[in-house]
Amino acid sequence: MELDAFKVAVDAWLDEHEHELASDYEGGGTLDQQVAQLRKVMGMAYAAGFMRMGWPERAGGLGGSNLLRAYLGEVLTARDLVEAGFYSLPEVLAPTMIDYAPETLAAEMVPKLLSGEEIWCQGFSEPGTGSNLGSLACRATHTDAGWRINGQKVWTSLAQYAQRCVLLTRTGTLESAHRGITAMFIDMDSPGITVRPIETMHGAEEFCEVFYDDVVVPLDRVLGEVDGGWSIAMDLLPYERSTALWHRASYLHRRLEQLVSAAPAGTLDPTGVGEATQLLWAFRARSRATQRRLAAGETLGSETSIDKVLVATAEQAIFELVGEGLGPEVATGDDPVSARWRAEFLYSRAATIYGGSAEIQRNIIARRLLALGDDR
Amino acid sequence: MEASELALFRSGIHHATETCSGEALDAALDELGWRDALVADRSTAVSVLFEALGSSVVDSSALDWLLAAALGEKDAVRTSVVLPLLRRAAPPGRVRAGRCEVHGLGTGAVARADAAVVVAEADGGPVAYTVKASSLELRQVRGLDPGLGIVEVTGDLDAAAGRPVDWEGAASIGQLAVGHELVGLARAMLELARQHALDRVQFGRPISSFQAIRHRLAESLVAVEAADGLLAAAWDDPSPVMAAMAKGMAGRSARAVARHAQQVLAGIGFTTEHPLHGYVRRTIVLDQLLGASSVLTRQLGDDVLERGALPPALPL
Repeated sequence: MELDAFKVAVDAWLDEHEHELASDYEGGGTLDQQVAQLRKVMGMAYAAGFMRMGWPERAGGLGGSNLLRAYLGEVLTARDLVEAGFYSLPEVLAPTMIDYAPETLAAEMVPKLLSGEEIWCQGFSEPGTGSNLGSLACRATHTDAGWRINGQKVWTSLAQYAQRCVLLTRTGTLESAHRGITAMFIDMDSPGITVRPIETMHGAEEFCEVFYDDVVVPLDRVLGEVDGGWSIAMDLLPYERSTALWHRASYLHRRLEQLVSAAPAGTLDPTGVGEATQLLWAFRARSRATQRRLAAGETLGSETSIDKVLVATAEQAIFELVGEGLGPEVATGDDPVSARWRAEFLYSRAATIYGGSAEIQRNIIARRLLALGDDR
Repeated sequence: MEASELALFRSGIHHATETCSGEALDAALDELGWRDALVADRSTAVSVLFEALGSSVVDSSALDWLLAAALGEKDAVRTSVVLPLLRRAAPPGRVRAGRCEVHGLGTGAVARADAAVVVAEADGGPVAYTVKASSLELRQVRGLDPGLGIVEVTGDLDAAAGRPVDWEGAASIGQLAVGHELVGLARAMLELARQHALDRVQFGRPISSFQAIRHRLAESLVAVEAADGLLAAAWDDPSPVMAAMAKGMAGRSARAVARHAQQVLAGIGFTTEHPLHGYVRRTIVLDQLLGASSVLTRQLGDDVLERGALPPALPL
């Protein structure tokens, strides 16, 4: 199906099912409510076929361009039917499975993810491994019974809801750095896994610590090659900075528009509003070009770090304005709508930290795009 | 244009802007068929040429040709267009009591042209007059960037013969053109700073190895690509809102790159022995031509706040 026809079909379906699709809570809802809403909307969109568009047939999809996925996420976010960050998690996880899992495993599992039947998480960061992913230490030891995992992950989004996890483990020596890493597909109900949600300043416990104590993983759950996990992580990062960011733009657009209509006259500096609007448009123009390159079959690389810097800059510019135009609501509002502004205002502080910090993105740009050589 | 044709066009334009300026560049652009390209594929013709003009800090009559054509002028070759005073994007003339008062600017093209188009605000909307260049008073301005050949244009014309024109539409195309020129300037300043960072050794290592320098340069590339991406998107729908947004972003980005490049180039970049100063001068002047970024940005914010809504989102 072509993009234009898809847009018409999706829009008509959303209009038709407006009431069933809408959330049953005011404001942002609790984390439980958000996850339930996400699964409901994904389930309905999957049953209607839209959620399968843009994914390959061998993984339960219906084929077609990535632009279809980009549009579906854009419009679901614009209509405030899903939380954009959670909705976009499959944009990173599904391509990894499709490209690196054994074919039968991908065909069995990916539909569970896309239909909202299951939530998956991504176990990358560790307490000692933030920006320096190559130093990760969560150990996987080869035994006859399977891989035995011991270690700890942190910042694992939605781990308390997840049935599966794409986990990066250390299979080589620590000195092997990025060469000794292996990716695995884990069942979260395996004995030995403990999940502890982290209380964060924005109030939702969406990030978790996950502890692995002698967790046994079947040998056929390795993704890609043993000791080849680094290339999987590197291939996946540009996905994290493409379709998911297009969805984020839609979220930022909705919130900026709501802000300029809700803020009392005289509380917002016009120059600040103009700058934030220009930034959002520039980011959206850039992200659209990235979507089109992906649709044309190009391989995405380090240039997506520019997209990531732009989205984080735009998000913080917009929420700085929220802090001005809706300052009292953010500071003292206890109603659900104010609570949502407050949570999202606080969450925006992390936009330059998660998914590769602002500093790491600039390091990538300096080294890879500007060819500035070594930084030591 | 197809890829092979585009590569040829691009290399021809680059050769011309790297080797000549002013009247000679006008002749070279004629030879290359730039005005035919403008008719066949306007966005490509404008983006390639104006970015190259910025890269080499040279001057041509292309902005005047572009505006004259957009204002429906038949003989756009020998016709210059009077531009608004700096900072403004409104027409340079004003019709009052049967006379048209003119107060605007011209580029180097004014001196080379026989005729000039003056657009003026009138009660029924903007009107244009095509007059002999000699009927306007021209005063050469030196100012910050003498190489640009700016002239201050004043005049007092008979207001009878004005024809209605779409000034806003023409000015929008002009804003995109100047936006591309600013991107060309910014890319060139970034490259000057990048090369200097790689060459300059302090504390026994190239300064390009210091994160403070690397992040300034990375920030500059983000600024350039943000402006370039927005300009490219604006060509899909060159509405006044999109053009003003793209010009505002390009001006802000080029100014930011100028600051970063000046800091990285440090002492040598503050001398006239190094070419940076020429780029900085032109950036500051062009940022203000057809609407300064400070004005366009605040105006965008004012409009958004007044309507309580954003402009239409870019469609996928």
